[in-house]
Amino acid sequence: MRDPYFLHAAITVLLFAFLASSWNIIGGLAGQHSFGHSVFFGIGAYVSTILFIYWNVPPFLGMIVGGIIAAIASIGIGYPCFKLRGPYFALSTLAFTEIFRIIATTTEQVGPVDFKGAAGILIPFRPGNSFVNFQFAEKAYYYYIILAMLILILFIHNWIEKSRWGLYLAAIRDNEDAARSIGINARRFKILALMISAFFGAMAGTFYAQFFLYIEPILFSSALSIEILLIAIVGGAGTLMGPFLGSLILTPISELTRTYLGGTYAGVQLIIYGGVLVAVMMFAPQGIIPPLAKRYRMLFERRA
Amino acid sequence: VIGFIEATISGILMGGLYGFIAVSLSLIFGVAKIVNFAHGALFMVAMFLVYWILVLLKVDPYLSSLIAAGFLFFFGYFFQRLFIEPILRREKETAPLTVILLTSGLMMIIENVALLLFGADYRTVKTGYTGKVWEIAGLFIAQPRMIGFVLSLVLILLLELYLRKTNLGRAIRATSQDREAARLMGIDDYRVYKITFGVGGTMLGFAAAFLVPFYFVHPAVGELFVLKSFVIVVLGGLGSITGAFLAGIIVGIIESLGAQFINSALVESLIFIIFIGCLVVKPTGLLGKQRE
Repeated sequence: MRDPYFLHAAITVLLFAFLASSWNIIGGLAGQHSFGHSVFFGIGAYVSTILFIYWNVPPFLGMIVGGIIAAIASIGIGYPCFKLRGPYFALSTLAFTEIFRIIATTTEQVGPVDFKGAAGILIPFRPGNSFVNFQFAEKAYYYYIILAMLILILFIHNWIEKSRWGLYLAAIRDNEDAARSIGINARRFKILALMISAFFGAMAGTFYAQFFLYIEPILFSSALSIEILLIAIVGGAGTLMGPFLGSLILTPISELTRTYLGGTYAGVQLIIYGGVLVAVMMFAPQGIIPPLAKRYRMLFERRA
Repeated sequence: VIGFIEATISGILMGGLYGFIAVSLSLIFGVAKIVNFAHGALFMVAMFLVYWILVLLKVDPYLSSLIAAGFLFFFGYFFQRLFIEPILRREKETAPLTVILLTSGLMMIIENVALLLFGADYRTVKTGYTGKVWEIAGLFIAQPRMIGFVLSLVLILLLELYLRKTNLGRAIRATSQDREAARLMGIDDYRVYKITFGVGGTMLGFAAAFLVPFYFVHPAVGELFVLKSFVIVVLGGLGSITGAFLAGIIVGIIESLGAQFINSALVESLIFIIFIGCLVVKPTGLLGKQRE
């Protein structure tokens, strides 16, 4: 735990587990494989950072504000996109990531706020361990914060899954037409799920900003959206621990390749990611957890 | 005014190529209902092929377009055979998300392998007609753009003829309209899919060769085209070849005029906003038939 490199890796694993878990609410529980999750992540990162730099708002508060703004934005995104299904839904959510990325890349000065366009924003470093500034010289603080956030979202996931509302979502996921025909207002429940998902996605954005102290328009990119999906789906979309397992497998790969290969071989990470994605889609499209769980259950039943 | 007309013409010419690329995507999307995210990566492979043939063997791009087209036919054919067909067979009906993720995985692999092999340099070529213009009625028109546009138009007409007049073309159209019924008529739908992918690849090979003389080659060049192509396909109407071509020209004009008079980056996002609006208001596109 004391080794800073290990701690850094552990924090990124938990961060991506949290981010993929937030996607899991709309993507897994409601079965809407959104390609637009990076939009909320980017909103969270930008909102809390700008509030912090220009108005000295503590990032913990900015995190909540960013979450609320992302949830509101998610209504605007969900409203048109949920009219569409299958590939059209995927493409329209993907188009939103491009719109946001382009806006973030081209926006410079707006009133008193300088978004700095493509250059990105550096968050001024304030020494010491401060919850007000959400900056800690000791990385262990970050570790416990993101761990607490991950536990929180796993509880919420579990609660939604067990609630009546979670059953509606499951019905929509398994057969939307059937769900509608028994009177479930599918669009409303999907938008509600997306709002929760967006809120937590934005929280991850704030954490990212405060941990790395640098944000850029790439946070909105479709590539990040695909990475989030990849983590959740490799582990098992819709399962409680799937995103965590996915992040445990995939995030260290990206950390290792970044450290040992870096620079000219930066693409190796994406080749490995691509390979994992292809292999999972071809051989275990449900992710890793469902087949494991099935095998475990079979073992259990045979003994009983 | 001259600037406006020239920008419009250049937009139409570039749009023709967009349309041509979109037609190849539309063929796959329309027939096999497969969202092929790797389409841009295949396009990039074709561009590098043409580029290296030109640089190493000094063969003119318009000549090597035949090689690229042939190569891409097999690339597309086996791409479908090796990766997508197993999934389609397993899941019976087309599972859009599995295939989207699969093809985006393949895109990541192909693009980054190209990045390792060729580096991130923007490469351009010098041909006899690069930068040359024709002067028509006081307007300057870039030669390679004009040639690319005309050849694209000819090839699209040939494709249309192929789909209408040959047995295989009819089989492709039948499968796109109703896969089950086509299968009952004795059409091997998986074979149709493979050939469709191959034909889509062929067109990409041609498009790449038309683009190389006046564009740059880069491992991520396909990304610039793939999302735009999806936009064009949806705008034009799924499965409509004429629609895709026209929508390509419209997008080309918007882009070219926007770059001249507004701001090229904002126009890019405008295109995506139009795309979402179009999906919501009229999902069948300009010339599309009813979907599903």
